[in-house]
Amino acid sequence: MSSGKFRQILGLVLLASLACSSYSCTVASSNEEFFGSTTPPQRNIFRYVTGDEPESLDPAISNGQPEARLYMALFEGLVEYNPKTLNPEPALAERWHKNNDSSEFTFHLRTNGRWSNGDPIDANDFVYTFRRNLAKETASRNVYLMAYIKYAQDYNQQRVFVRDPKTGEFLLARDFSEDLPPEPLAGFPIDPAKSEYLPDPNETTPDADTAFHQQMHTPARLTLPGDEKSRAKLLGANAGLKAAVEGKEFVKVAAEDIGVEAVDKYTVRISLVQQAPFFLGLLAHQVFRAVPRKAVEQFGTKWALAEHIVSCGPFKVKAWKPYDQLVLERDPMYWDAANVKLDELYFYPILDNSTVMNMYKVGELDAMYNHAVPNAWLHIMRTKKDYMNRAEAAIEYLIINTTKPPLNNTKVRKAFNLAINKEAYAEWRRIVKPLTAFTPEGMFAGYEQPKGATFNAAEARRLLGEAGYPVAQNSDGSFSCPTFPVGDVEFIYNSQAANKAVAEWFQAQWKQNLGITIPLRNMEWKTFLEAKEKLDFKGFARGSWGADYMDPFTFLSLFYTGGESGTGWEDPKYIKMLDEANRTLDEKQRYHLLAEAEKYLIENQPIIPIDSPSVNWMKKPYVKGMYPNPGSLFPWKYVYIERDRAKWDYGMPSLDAE
Amino acid sequence: MFRFIVRRLLITIPTILVVISITWVLIKLAPGNFYSGEKQLPPAIEKAIREKYGLDKPWYQQYGKTMWGIVRLDFGTSLRYQGQSVNTIIKRSLPVSAAVGILAYLLALVVGVTAGSIAALKQNTKWDYGSMALAMLGISVPNFVLGPILVLIFSLSLYWLPPSRWEGFPSRNLVLPVLTLSALYMAYIARLTRAGMLEVLRSDYIRTARAKGLSERDVVIRHALRGGLMPVVSYTGPALAFLLTGTVVVERIFALPGLGNYFIQASLNRDEPLIIGIVAFIAITLLLMNLLVDIAYAYLDPRVRYQ
Repeated sequence: MSSGKFRQILGLVLLASLACSSYSCTVASSNEEFFGSTTPPQRNIFRYVTGDEPESLDPAISNGQPEARLYMALFEGLVEYNPKTLNPEPALAERWHKNNDSSEFTFHLRTNGRWSNGDPIDANDFVYTFRRNLAKETASRNVYLMAYIKYAQDYNQQRVFVRDPKTGEFLLARDFSEDLPPEPLAGFPIDPAKSEYLPDPNETTPDADTAFHQQMHTPARLTLPGDEKSRAKLLGANAGLKAAVEGKEFVKVAAEDIGVEAVDKYTVRISLVQQAPFFLGLLAHQVFRAVPRKAVEQFGTKWALAEHIVSCGPFKVKAWKPYDQLVLERDPMYWDAANVKLDELYFYPILDNSTVMNMYKVGELDAMYNHAVPNAWLHIMRTKKDYMNRAEAAIEYLIINTTKPPLNNTKVRKAFNLAINKEAYAEWRRIVKPLTAFTPEGMFAGYEQPKGATFNAAEARRLLGEAGYPVAQNSDGSFSCPTFPVGDVEFIYNSQAANKAVAEWFQAQWKQNLGITIPLRNMEWKTFLEAKEKLDFKGFARGSWGADYMDPFTFLSLFYTGGESGTGWEDPKYIKMLDEANRTLDEKQRYHLLAEAEKYLIENQPIIPIDSPSVNWMKKPYVKGMYPNPGSLFPWKYVYIERDRAKWDYGMPSLDAE
Repeated sequence: MFRFIVRRLLITIPTILVVISITWVLIKLAPGNFYSGEKQLPPAIEKAIREKYGLDKPWYQQYGKTMWGIVRLDFGTSLRYQGQSVNTIIKRSLPVSAAVGILAYLLALVVGVTAGSIAALKQNTKWDYGSMALAMLGISVPNFVLGPILVLIFSLSLYWLPPSRWEGFPSRNLVLPVLTLSALYMAYIARLTRAGMLEVLRSDYIRTARAKGLSERDVVIRHALRGGLMPVVSYTGPALAFLLTGTVVVERIFALPGLGNYFIQASLNRDEPLIIGIVAFIAITLLLMNLLVDIAYAYLDPRVRYQ
């Protein structure tokens, strides 16, 4: 060993011991109830890390959760999330009612809603917002959530209606498709004899019936692709359709055709293309939050920059220094400004979780985003009273590429599922609960989640044998499966230390219980996404999903259109089951049907459910009005700094209604 | 001299265009898109996004547009950060990186040259061994280790300095990132200075200077240092270019809104215009710095003359 090298090693050893000793004296020996400083900020402000730098302050653009929390401060929709349950609460709409089969919703706006520049907010603002976000030019990634609105998707995809030039009548969708679900109530002519709406004691005057309303209440029109090429291809494959279209003219689906209507100055009516009992919960999502027409039209893509932005939420932009800080201040124009408790909100975009923890410890942060606590810190942080870890509306699972052998065989997929001891996994991960189905356990009250298969190694080996890959026991008690084509299967994950440990954990389980060693392959994040999207991987990939709204359908709809699940599994029977459930008016019965669909899904095993995680973040005890809700979304107007120590949170605040 | 500078500048232009072209090809080859995320997009939405940002155009049109922008020094608009132009992003984040980088380099220069000179003048004494051991430590400990250790000691244990974030210039927040960043350069400069000085101290003109009866101080400062620092000067060019344009690790640990942070995020986000813009900027800075170093050489070393 050269002396240079020796010195290097000596130096490292010295440093390491220094690091260890100072670490242990700061963290391990402190038996404090809370992690670090508990001195509230001097001013009436709140400092938070929501994640990475926001892509844009335009609520139509980003589909990320970090941005969703920002948009909740800056923009308001018809409804807002309840801070504890995330159920929809009145916001810019003060009340609403829906028709009997949840296919039409009418919202009555409050008359004192105002933009941050003082302009009033009325029904036309919402009509504009919906049309603008659906416009192809906006290129919003969230429009899939708006697809339930009549003709919304057709407009977004620039499809065309087919009209007879002689009679002026449009071709109807139901005439060209047999397995179309029956029209919702909103698709039938309005019949005054049949009460479509239940009598509502809050409504003294019935909503105006308009020509547009009448037009919405007709069966859905047929739409065809807007561009010649794909239209010709479609017509070429369907002779009957081609004959029917002959001599007809194509009319572009226009923004004005979308099922959103300003009935009067303060009434918005939304007509859907299907029954969607979960639609109200969806409306708090960022893509439905009002955007200012004047600013958007004047500044184009630059409207959401600090110098041009006009907002409508409880806070407005005070200063924005990208990758440094975003400072929001209470908006005096906000209709409920008197109840907004904080003067200012500070959002720091910080990527490094250790940096977040450091800032939290020294008291430069009052709370942090979900899953900001690194794994290595968990065992200490979990003992602190400012640690939040209630159930999260999310699931983690393994995606299986079901299009390639040997995993195109359901038995093989089942075997790999059965060979994983999820209880042990959850114990090892500390903050997750084992999962056997495809919705987070116990998340949706009244939903009877189906129970999937639990750990059973013997059964797994038997199934694998049935599939043609017999597992033999070796003399030392271990197993081997020599016929299994290991080269055709792999486990891909995105490069991250935590993911690597998880992948190795599954690898070890399969090795131990099936005698199969699946090769692991890590990928850079975007490369991983592309492999998943194009089904360009063999075997297993890591997957996770967080709820867009509080209904089991947000998880089950992942397999509604097969292309987007990353598994290649598509089953018309499953889709029919979901459709039928959503058409069911009785809520209990609907949940029952959804649960049946979920059962069918896990029986087919295109995925291996792993766990439902818990939220994993911290807030200082003096932060009140902020709750560890299942989506980690916080209506900021309720958040405040409590200076009286007696009223602090010593432990997790309850999610029960007060 | 003038002709030399013009010639060097002319060579710089094709070099930069080649660098950009290679970067452009690499970006196009990398899988994934700026818009891809955990939630997979329906094909129709993906198509709309590609059309909006011109990603559906043939490759030569996209390449031509990028290059034409570079020629006019207009790097276009970021794909990820909607509505923000790349030029604005560079303009905003460069001062942050530059402030930290220049401070770190100045500190490294002062400490490094001093330590190196002492080591050379007192060769093979405890002064020499001591400073060279420290220098070895500085070179061996990576900044992603040093940074957190400094934070642990000065912020989390002693509560003397803030652990991270940018609070403008000057501020106490700068102390830790500057220290972290300068350690490596400090150590390197100390070693370069020592080696250079040792060589110079044995040369004839120093012996002449001493023979003339100059004081030891004059010998060292006026003659030895000037020659002994030549290796440091040539090191300064590339080092300063890298420090100016940001350092990924330090900016990330200390949450500084600098150029290095943007660079790595742009690559991870597949933000093509931003990557191209920053690469072009770094390439230009690097080439200019090297040119400056060559010019400085001519002034410092009488033996070097440019035609």
